[in-house]
Amino acid sequence: MESYSRRWFLGAGATTLVSAAGLTACGSGGGSGGSGGGTVTAMVYGDDAVKIQTQAIDRFNASAAAKKTKGSIKLQKIPASDYPAKLRTAMGSPNAPDVFFNWGGGSIKAYQEANQLIDLTDTIRTDSVLKDGFLPSVLASGSLGGKMYGIPMRGMQPVMVFYNKTLFAEHKLQPPTTWDQLLDINTKLKKAGITPFALGGAETWPELMWLEYLVDRIGGPQVFERIKNGDASGWGDPAVLKAAETVKQLIDDGAFGKGYSSVGYSNGGAPAVFAKGRAAMHLMGSWEYPTQLGKFPDFARKELGWFAFPQYEGGAGDIRNVVGNPTNYWSVNARVANKDAAIAFLRDCASEAYTKDLIANGDVPTTTLAEKLLDSSPNPEYARFQYQMVQQAPAFTLSWDQAVDPSWQTPMLTEINKLFVGKSSPAQFVSALKGLK
Amino acid sequence: MSHDTLPRRPVRTAGPPVTAGPAHRRRHWTRRPNPLAGLGSVIWLAVVIIPIYAMITTSLTRQDDALGHNALKPPTSPTLENYDTVLHSGFGHLLANTVTVAASVVAIVLVLCVPLAYVAVRSRGLWSSAAFRLFLLGVAIPAQAVVVPLYLMIAKLNLYDSLLAIILPTAAFAMPVSVLVLTGTMRDISEELYEAMALDGASPTRMLFQLVIPMTKGGISTVVIYSALQAWNGFLFPLIFTQSDGPRVLTLGLFNYVSEFGVNIPALLASVVLSGIPIFAVYLVARRALVGGLMGVGGK
Amino acid sequence: MSSTVTTGAKGRTGKGARPSRPHTAWVLPGVLFFTFFAAAPMALAFYLSFTRWNGLGDPEPVGLENWRKLIDDPRLTQSLTVTVMLTVVSWVFQTVVSLLLGVWAAGRQRNRAVLSAVFFVPFLLSSTAISLLFYALLDPNFGIIRGDTLGTTSGAFLAIVFVGGWQFIPFHTLIYQGGARQIPEVLYQAAAIDGAGRYRQFFSITLPQLRNTATTSTVLMVVGSLTYFETVLILTQGGPGTDTAILPYLMYEAGFKSYDFGYASAVATFLVVAATVLSLLLVRLTGFGAMRSTREGM
Repeated sequence: MESYSRRWFLGAGATTLVSAAGLTACGSGGGSGGSGGGTVTAMVYGDDAVKIQTQAIDRFNASAAAKKTKGSIKLQKIPASDYPAKLRTAMGSPNAPDVFFNWGGGSIKAYQEANQLIDLTDTIRTDSVLKDGFLPSVLASGSLGGKMYGIPMRGMQPVMVFYNKTLFAEHKLQPPTTWDQLLDINTKLKKAGITPFALGGAETWPELMWLEYLVDRIGGPQVFERIKNGDASGWGDPAVLKAAETVKQLIDDGAFGKGYSSVGYSNGGAPAVFAKGRAAMHLMGSWEYPTQLGKFPDFARKELGWFAFPQYEGGAGDIRNVVGNPTNYWSVNARVANKDAAIAFLRDCASEAYTKDLIANGDVPTTTLAEKLLDSSPNPEYARFQYQMVQQAPAFTLSWDQAVDPSWQTPMLTEINKLFVGKSSPAQFVSALKGLK
Repeated sequence: MSHDTLPRRPVRTAGPPVTAGPAHRRRHWTRRPNPLAGLGSVIWLAVVIIPIYAMITTSLTRQDDALGHNALKPPTSPTLENYDTVLHSGFGHLLANTVTVAASVVAIVLVLCVPLAYVAVRSRGLWSSAAFRLFLLGVAIPAQAVVVPLYLMIAKLNLYDSLLAIILPTAAFAMPVSVLVLTGTMRDISEELYEAMALDGASPTRMLFQLVIPMTKGGISTVVIYSALQAWNGFLFPLIFTQSDGPRVLTLGLFNYVSEFGVNIPALLASVVLSGIPIFAVYLVARRALVGGLMGVGGK
Repeated sequence: MSSTVTTGAKGRTGKGARPSRPHTAWVLPGVLFFTFFAAAPMALAFYLSFTRWNGLGDPEPVGLENWRKLIDDPRLTQSLTVTVMLTVVSWVFQTVVSLLLGVWAAGRQRNRAVLSAVFFVPFLLSSTAISLLFYALLDPNFGIIRGDTLGTTSGAFLAIVFVGGWQFIPFHTLIYQGGARQIPEVLYQAAAIDGAGRYRQFFSITLPQLRNTATTSTVLMVVGSLTYFETVLILTQGGPGTDTAILPYLMYEAGFKSYDFGYASAVATFLVVAATVLSLLLVRLTGFGAMRSTREGM
């Protein structure tokens, strides 16, 4: 429990204003709190995996490195659905976090432009723990304009199809490798009264994953590559229209059931629909496994299976292409008071203890140590599948919402949501996106 | 307008010659049963009760049982574990913050609005009239409209992520209605009473404390209840102006439970029930004052 | 409205000492505080609407860019329509129910008093708590009403109207109850003698007599329905699509999802102007500000 501290009642430095109003007495009550001294605040996305960061902080605060840098880390968990907005408002205020969770790429561009990030390039180059500690391609994904701003701090996050092995066995189904096989499975499941796919359509990003993969499978990775570089006419590629039509077909065929647009993911709705056997499959990032392990451990251990997004007949995309996020990163605020402590804390992300914590949580870390430790994963088979998936991918497309310019993000997500709720047709969808400026 | 905010029974004035004995001294016609109104009230009772009932029974159900359970049936094996979960998620801290915010907002509003209303009623200057109009216009300004600039100000004032960031704007936005309610009540104090005090040589300050405030108790209690409710209900200011656990208030804490408990609907509903208990206790103890005070917001 | 205190307002007796009046300066703390935390931000919103600002660093002036974008934005029209519809439908729903309940509750029967006490309970919960309650009850898979209520435009719209009504009808019922109890009883007695039945009395006495109460209640409802923000945020997030994105939500989204605070400020300024015009109209049409004049004419 937080102690009542003067700082959060008053805000830093507003004491005069308050004593004028006679309110100072209300805020005190012991406890020091505050960001003064050597404390480094770390803001993190508050989902199930946050326990890894909590453990890392406990470990760091008791370590020799903490004593040497006279620092300690204080964690601020932000509810998942609200994280990007909270990060932005906090970064615009004097109470900005010293270290913060992000997705690399577009998610930190604004902070880089506002000179709010510490360039970690030299730190990483001169520090063998950091330099050799992570897969180079993942470290590179955390960079902007050739400079590195992020240290990988979670598992790799490719998107794949998860399925319920029990339901598949009951209805004598095999994981599909082609789109036609998938449609066939959908038909059989619907006949049995089972919704083929769980979908957390109350949020748009789970819907986005469908378009990301369909556009890749139909038109190949270069279609989005062009869009990502700011060419709005790229949305006019026939593959985008075809993908949108395919989505509409899926919806009309009842592939997602009926109530999907009021089901959330962050609140655990879609995972529960899937784990409870109401839906047989779920297109989701690799965090689905740790999420299920946290919420429905029996289901995760015994019934959860996975396969790569199927090949689209006649499509240009390779079935080995991957969509998703390489990982998440810690970045450091340029205004950090105790930079040494912050960097010392980040070095822990490459450690064996941290790697093991991630693996125990069902994640596949992006540290170089990970490969030989994967056998200790609660599900080594899953861990190796993921590791190889990423390793062998001819193309790894970053999630669209993180990859595009931030000013496109919300309108793009809005259009995708409209497509999924039937507010716009595939053709309207394409023409709206072509109009993005 | 009376300063007593509780509605009074209409005073019987010259009644027409009703052929009535003592038994008919009251409105006898409203005593007749009204089946249509009775039916309507029962329907509304259902509308009010069913969600509350479903909320309570669900909050007493284990999460796994809740999935297949019809919330309209009483729970088969009631449990308090959801309440336990919520109470161990820092609920007391959230409540303490909300109470601090509400008390501070009420204090600020009273300290600022009572003299303001007093001047608006008693002074004839252009300035006091202009001030009154400022607040009259302010009544309709939705607080949401200024959240962006307020965020900028709060950040520059170093108030971001503190309870004051919630208290100060909440108090400011509770002022217009408070001023209107107070001026409304203060206008009912008759000139003679001021004159009587003036004969004793009372200063305006003494008049405020010995005449105006005692005579405005009804309006003041309305303002207390109104501004406390604004603080109690406040959501957007805490959402935008705070981030850490320290200054988190109840409404925002409830909102965050959605991510935290997810589809643990029983725990989510237990938190909603718990959030209502403190004010329900106030309602049980001081129903007349609360209801009377609220009627005052509507004028009478 | 019993006039116990104001009786002799006109008959100023004799040469009694003129009471000294409080100094105008007494209004200063209140006016300054309100100006600083409520009025100045409105001016600042107006200024920000001519800038580009992503929440970091300082706002840069960009002239009319945000306003041009606002005028061209089809979402503004949609949002305005939803806001107006929500206000009107909520007003009808809440007024009809609270008027009937209020008049009914004004009767002094014991059962009515007991039921009124129960009817009041929803108002004790905060808007956030109520929105969460219905969010849970309407969950398509784990709620009480398991359907796609919030996934359809009309379902989501009506859910917001219902939830708003569920919370605020108790309050407006109270206002109407207070109003109904102040209707002079003689009016009913006279009507009864003329042979008017219960329903004729309702339409020819109760309704006209509640005119002022209805005015007050309407002003509060209209102003209140501009603030259904929490309900929208929690229940529908403006969806499905953008169909329930009321103006405050549109502003929130522009600011705190797209980080386009300049554009958000343009929407906010528009909202302030619309709300001010609306309140001026209401004040003018209904004489809500007339409290001012009760003593001025002396």
